[in-house]
Amino acid sequence: MPLARPLLGWLAFAVVMCLVPVFVSTGTVRILVFANFLAIFAMSWDVISGRTGYISFGHPFLIGIAGYTTAMLTYHLDTPLWLSIPAGVFATLVGGTLFLLPALRIRGTYFALVTLAFMELMYQLTQVIAPKVTGGTRGLSGIPTIVSGAIPNYYLTFGLVFAIGLGLWFVLRTRIGAALAALRMDEGAVAASGLSTIRLKLFAFMTSAAVAGIGGAFYVHYLGSIAPRGLFDINFLFTILVAALLGGSSTVAGPILGAYFLTFLLEYLRPYLPGPERYVIYGMIALVVYVLEPRGLHAILRTGARRLAPLLARRRIAP
Amino acid sequence: MTNILIQGLALSGLYALVAVGFTMIFSVGRVLNLAHGVFLMLGGYAYYTAVQVFGISKGAGIAIAVLAGAAFGILTYTVLVRRLEHNPIAVEISTLILAVVMQALIVVVYTSAPKSMWPIVPGVFRHEGVFVSHNILAAMVLSWIVLGGLVVFVRRTRLGRALRAVSMDRKGAVISGIDPHRMSLATWAISGGLAALAGVFFATYTQLTPGMWVAPLIIAVAVVVVGGIGSIVGSLVVAHLIGFMETVTTTLVAAELRGVFTMVLVIVVLVIVPKGLFGREEL
Amino acid sequence: MQLRTDRALAPLFAALAIGVAASLAHDARAVGDPVKVGFIGSFASDTGRSTLRGAEIAIEELNAAGGVLGGRMIELVSADTREDVTEGIKAYEYLNESENVDFIVSGSIDDVSLGWFPRMAEYRTPTLDTWTSYIGLIDMVGEEYEKYKMYFMNIACDYALGTLYVDFGKDVLGKQMGWKSTVILQEDTAFGGGVQEFIAEIMEAEAGIKVLDTIVYDTQTVDFAPIYNKAVALEPDFMYLISSVNSQVPSSQYVKLQVPVAMTGINVAALGLDFWNDTGGAGGGISTLSPIPAVGMELDDSSKVFAEKYRAKYGDERPVFPHFNGFNAYHGVKNAFAAAERAGGFAPLDDWVREMENTDVKLYKDGEFWHRYAYFKPGEIEPRTGREFVHNIKFDLTPPYDDGAPSMVVIQWYTDGTAKVVYPPKYASGEFSIPPWLQ
Repeated sequence: MPLARPLLGWLAFAVVMCLVPVFVSTGTVRILVFANFLAIFAMSWDVISGRTGYISFGHPFLIGIAGYTTAMLTYHLDTPLWLSIPAGVFATLVGGTLFLLPALRIRGTYFALVTLAFMELMYQLTQVIAPKVTGGTRGLSGIPTIVSGAIPNYYLTFGLVFAIGLGLWFVLRTRIGAALAALRMDEGAVAASGLSTIRLKLFAFMTSAAVAGIGGAFYVHYLGSIAPRGLFDINFLFTILVAALLGGSSTVAGPILGAYFLTFLLEYLRPYLPGPERYVIYGMIALVVYVLEPRGLHAILRTGARRLAPLLARRRIAP
Repeated sequence: MTNILIQGLALSGLYALVAVGFTMIFSVGRVLNLAHGVFLMLGGYAYYTAVQVFGISKGAGIAIAVLAGAAFGILTYTVLVRRLEHNPIAVEISTLILAVVMQALIVVVYTSAPKSMWPIVPGVFRHEGVFVSHNILAAMVLSWIVLGGLVVFVRRTRLGRALRAVSMDRKGAVISGIDPHRMSLATWAISGGLAALAGVFFATYTQLTPGMWVAPLIIAVAVVVVGGIGSIVGSLVVAHLIGFMETVTTTLVAAELRGVFTMVLVIVVLVIVPKGLFGREEL
Repeated sequence: MQLRTDRALAPLFAALAIGVAASLAHDARAVGDPVKVGFIGSFASDTGRSTLRGAEIAIEELNAAGGVLGGRMIELVSADTREDVTEGIKAYEYLNESENVDFIVSGSIDDVSLGWFPRMAEYRTPTLDTWTSYIGLIDMVGEEYEKYKMYFMNIACDYALGTLYVDFGKDVLGKQMGWKSTVILQEDTAFGGGVQEFIAEIMEAEAGIKVLDTIVYDTQTVDFAPIYNKAVALEPDFMYLISSVNSQVPSSQYVKLQVPVAMTGINVAALGLDFWNDTGGAGGGISTLSPIPAVGMELDDSSKVFAEKYRAKYGDERPVFPHFNGFNAYHGVKNAFAAAERAGGFAPLDDWVREMENTDVKLYKDGEFWHRYAYFKPGEIEPRTGREFVHNIKFDLTPPYDDGAPSMVVIQWYTDGTAKVVYPPKYASGEFSIPPWLQ
């Protein structure tokens, strides 16, 4: 019984999202596709950083590994997608293990910096090592896509968001989720209570990497091209971080909410401010919201709902 | 050999100057300022506007840049950081957002076209086929003066001692009557001014572009991480380690691997010696 | 915990409702009769702005002359890429899905064009590129013509630029200057790698100039003194710089350090008239290869009129003078519409492509052939290189350059702040020179 209401929520979410393309233009649907990808990346980031407190500044590194692996396999070797995408995800899991190594010893700011260094290193390496294979600074273009057109891509990516979101929600509502939160609060206490912090971290990192890998691989096959400047970039990192945090970290709905908010904010400014001013306003809004409420839109809307609820209830009671 | 020595020293001096403000803020406030590169960028653009657009003298240009940097430091602290000080991660995120906003703002005002600046000290030093610009030698000497001055300031003056006290033991400092917020404010002002000064030299070296904040931030992070976050002397030594490593890589190994080596060093040090080579978290 | 999540979903719906409402309002905007042209490029870079303004002026002229395709007005819609690959893809989608443009003019750089290329193939929107010169794009059109035939490149591709540059090496660097050896300084980018491979291969064979070494440098390099030291120690007659990303850094440090060896090559920052101010007057002695119509080139009458309109309209707003791609956008938009007139519109695509391929506009200066806007057709072999350049602007790689304009010119900046073309002789108005401290 306690499961019924949230599951109903998820169901309603799915139904509404499935109906969206009926009501909006394909231009809006295209924006939603990008929002869906950002939601996947933000959810992935949140598993590792929102839950356990290990702030990752290197998420583009994980996303990029999957993207590059599947892009190179399909572009050069004509590997079928059903093989190259899992290969990309697997490569990201290996990359996630690389993240785990420093996390065994350091946390907080130090961990954030080492992951940032991973991203920078990857940016340098794609250019220096075998530019013929990676496409060097220009990247690769003409990578096969899975489906084409706005609406099929929308359903594909929303399917991913929904599956990943629901999956994460199921896993994180169990004791594992609680243990990860405990890890964020006090790692020592978790270790003292007899749980293996290494295994917990391994779980969080692998889950995060798998989600990032799935997102990254599908992302590249949606874009049809890949370039280091579009991936291993501080602006990309910024978008992922801000989506998760602005939406509300440590929740499943938060990162999705943040991703939709950010993507639409930027796109809806376009007709009014086509030029570079757009990014100033966009960044300012993100900054103001974040500084006023670091727990994010999720918390703002919940507080709003809580304040609104008694008012509505009173009205209902009063004849 | 001589050229590696001279060029390594010069580049290291510049890097030390770039990193020192970053170190101070972490040491006193226990927060990372990811907008540090933006402070440098602002210094560069302020100097450019004053000297190359309005034709003000170079000395006044430097003063304007330093003041602009200090003012922006104060602004950042009072508007952003102060609210979030209890949460270092929130400070890091918000300064990162600030950096992206400032980059967009620079694009609006100055467009993204790169601009190069006149050397502050023109001329070239030549010795047996080695040539180094007077400008970078000036940056090197200046960085020694500034860093030396900073050490004296921290050890000898009242304000400096108070800063040091806060960086060593915040609670203890509060008990002995020091206001940590005022200390943080002073640190952000000094750090902003120093960063802007570094930015003027950094920009006369490279070029002014809206994306130029990333490179010095990466340098500052590398220097400070390897040196041990928060230690001025550690930063100084490691700035030289990285400066020389880059010069040797560019001259003797392969110029394209310059950045790769620096990042590998950062990762290795963080994994093996997480606290850095000189890991004391005080000034 | 369960309670938390279902409440958590409520805000999602709220946001969604707002989004849907906003997009309904958005879609309700009137879709009129005009022909829509999309611009894609950076609003903040000199090159992006050159293309945008070139297109703006061409469209103003076409509208003032009574419109196109039976009196319809042209409306320009712009989408900013800020030279970011992902933003470029979003911009291309926006122009097609939200604005339904009929034709796109682009001022994108290499990786941004490569980024939206798959979208172009999907939407099949006629697209004219004016800034990237990457031959990989032209080869994609050649290899998969049906998929990419809507793409035209209004600037000679890098391969053609490089081929003609060898003649400059032979005639000027070799014969006139008597130089026999060089060191190549190459930025670590795909562009740099491609050009280096090409230059190194033929410099020796064709121009008789020995390449002593190639130094590949990281584009984030702060200090170029060690690199110049290393190059100078090899005692070359000159250095050859290949720089597109941060070219002001190596070139301004070259001037500041007064490096005792001459340097020429590719220096993208020196392609605009603003270069002089940007370097604070420290650009004297710098020479660079440039696509045409370059800064410092004498113009034909129609291009002169365009340049005057440009200056009158934009005044001191940078770039104060159009870069080469501004001219190519101006002429290109007009030619694309002329092709559309002949084909009866931009759709069906095949008709427009056929007419665009038949474009042949020759420009004359003082009665002499000056520039030509025509495109290589599929299967057409360029005689000197013996390869195809499908939908690249037609160029001519052998003097007297009467089948098309040369693929490039070399421009030289002098210490008095002027820039002149120094090669090929047919277009030259100045002399190749070395920096003042070497004279």
